[in-house]
Amino acid sequence: MQIYLPIAEISVNIFVLLGLGLGVGFLSGMFGVGGGFLMTPLLIFIGVPPAVAVSTGANQIVASSVSGVFPHWRRKTLDIKMGVLLLIGGSVGSIAGVQLFALLRGLGQIDLIISLSYVGFLGVVGGLMMVESVRSILRNANPDKSAARRPLRKRGWIDRLPLKMRFPASGLYISVLPPLAIGLFVGTLVAIMGVAGGFIMVPAMIYMLRMPTNVVVGTSLFQILFVTALTTFLQAAQNQTVDILLALLLTVGGVIGAQFGARAGRNVKAEELRALLAALVLAVCLKMGWDLVVTPSDLFVILPRGAGEGF
Amino acid sequence: MIASLALALTLQGQPQIATEAPGIVAALTQETVEIREDFDGAELVLYGATRGLTIQDEIVVVLRGPGRDLRVMQKRRSFGIWVNASPLEFDDVPSYYAIATSLPLETIAGPAELERSGIGLQAMLEANATAMEPSWLLSASTLTAETPVIEQPAAAPDGADVPPLIRRDAVADYLAAIARAGRRDNVFAEAQRGVEILDGGLFRATIALPPLTPVGNYVAEVYLFRDGRPIASRSASLRVEKAGIERFFYEFAHDLPTIYGLFCVLMAMLAGYLANLAFNRR
Repeated sequence: MQIYLPIAEISVNIFVLLGLGLGVGFLSGMFGVGGGFLMTPLLIFIGVPPAVAVSTGANQIVASSVSGVFPHWRRKTLDIKMGVLLLIGGSVGSIAGVQLFALLRGLGQIDLIISLSYVGFLGVVGGLMMVESVRSILRNANPDKSAARRPLRKRGWIDRLPLKMRFPASGLYISVLPPLAIGLFVGTLVAIMGVAGGFIMVPAMIYMLRMPTNVVVGTSLFQILFVTALTTFLQAAQNQTVDILLALLLTVGGVIGAQFGARAGRNVKAEELRALLAALVLAVCLKMGWDLVVTPSDLFVILPRGAGEGF
Repeated sequence: MIASLALALTLQGQPQIATEAPGIVAALTQETVEIREDFDGAELVLYGATRGLTIQDEIVVVLRGPGRDLRVMQKRRSFGIWVNASPLEFDDVPSYYAIATSLPLETIAGPAELERSGIGLQAMLEANATAMEPSWLLSASTLTAETPVIEQPAAAPDGADVPPLIRRDAVADYLAAIARAGRRDNVFAEAQRGVEILDGGLFRATIALPPLTPVGNYVAEVYLFRDGRPIASRSASLRVEKAGIERFFYEFAHDLPTIYGLFCVLMAMLAGYLANLAFNRR
């Protein structure tokens, strides 16, 4: 059954969209990530214009992060103070990102920047995650070596920054600058890549801020919720690229898929799950990298003029 | 078929003037095409009648969609990756262009005549490029393959914009690219036939509107060709518009973008909250 999307202006099979939501939702529920890094490229692949795919992806993540943040709220595994700081940085980043998006679209280079961002970030994050998870799988295989626990590393230069503040929920006393910077960076990515940025936010909170793991996911979801909401609003207000029909169809599939994914994830060991996620991230990275390098089927590209030019 | 018969009867009922100068009339079976949520393309039928149709006469129907301003860029490899470069701008290129004919177009008229009257995809695009030429500077094609297709000369001393310098032979590649992209999306179509000549000087043309049919005002032009020249023409207009929920959301998004943005966010939050109620009860 075909459905015509009012903003994307294409006709797509409704079951393809529901299936896409279900599949990406399953993976995101299984791995505890937003899944935007899979959803946006897949939407572009089925013919949704990149600008609409990115903005609508952000809208769909609002829905999935709302449903994800509630359990953390109830269990109090959520550092609101840290979340608000990340959010302040994220809001500035998101506003800058939407402007940058409009500017790049005017220059005809938005597709390239989206692809390059994907290849770069997915490559780095996927690579690091793969190395880390393979190491811990090997360590668990030889339990005698794992007996020697590493001492807790110092944060180094992050501890020397000024403007320190206490974060009771995380048990931290650190400068407000790193969370602001991380928020800013991730907020920009949300606008340009249409991803929630959880795959960057979560490692940054664990390895740079040294937050306790149990509050990391809740805090990440909390900030993602507000940054994606802001991005959706700005993209809709400025670029008119949010397709609500597309977002709703993806959300329906997504929330159902996430429940099955979360159940499936419980039967797999944590480090094996991380290795699988790393493999998935690297696969998307390689696919996008390949598309940049391989000779395109048409050496010309036709772009609309007028839309997205100026501010 | 019944509809065509009925139309044939009404048309024949009108006073007939057999010896008058050749003429042509045409009407579309619908004046608006609505794009609704289940839109997956449509078929448009145009009926017409000719006056003084002889055996050598042929009919050409052109349906042209609203004009769009385009920027065409060429992909070039730089540092191993393909980057969009050498932009060339075209104004008012039809977003839809279809031709239906009673015989293959090239047998109806020669290339010179088609170019003169601007009928046919190639002639239409070339006419467009000619209209754009004042904003380009065409350089001779003596440049080698290594020289860039487009060079942006330094601005004039008084700060005025200088149009880009474009290799004359490169423009054809850009036009071919526009034609290729349009055919790929089925918004450019040159049916070898599509016009059926019925009895009594009546004809019927069938034109396909693809799923990607652009929204806007269309013009259907009907030409009567004799001896390779158009001797009569007539036009009819058509409107393609979004309807129902499609129209509601499109207008909402464009007329009230801020409220639409808030609405999208609230809908997503509501959906997430409902999902939470449904699944996360513990």
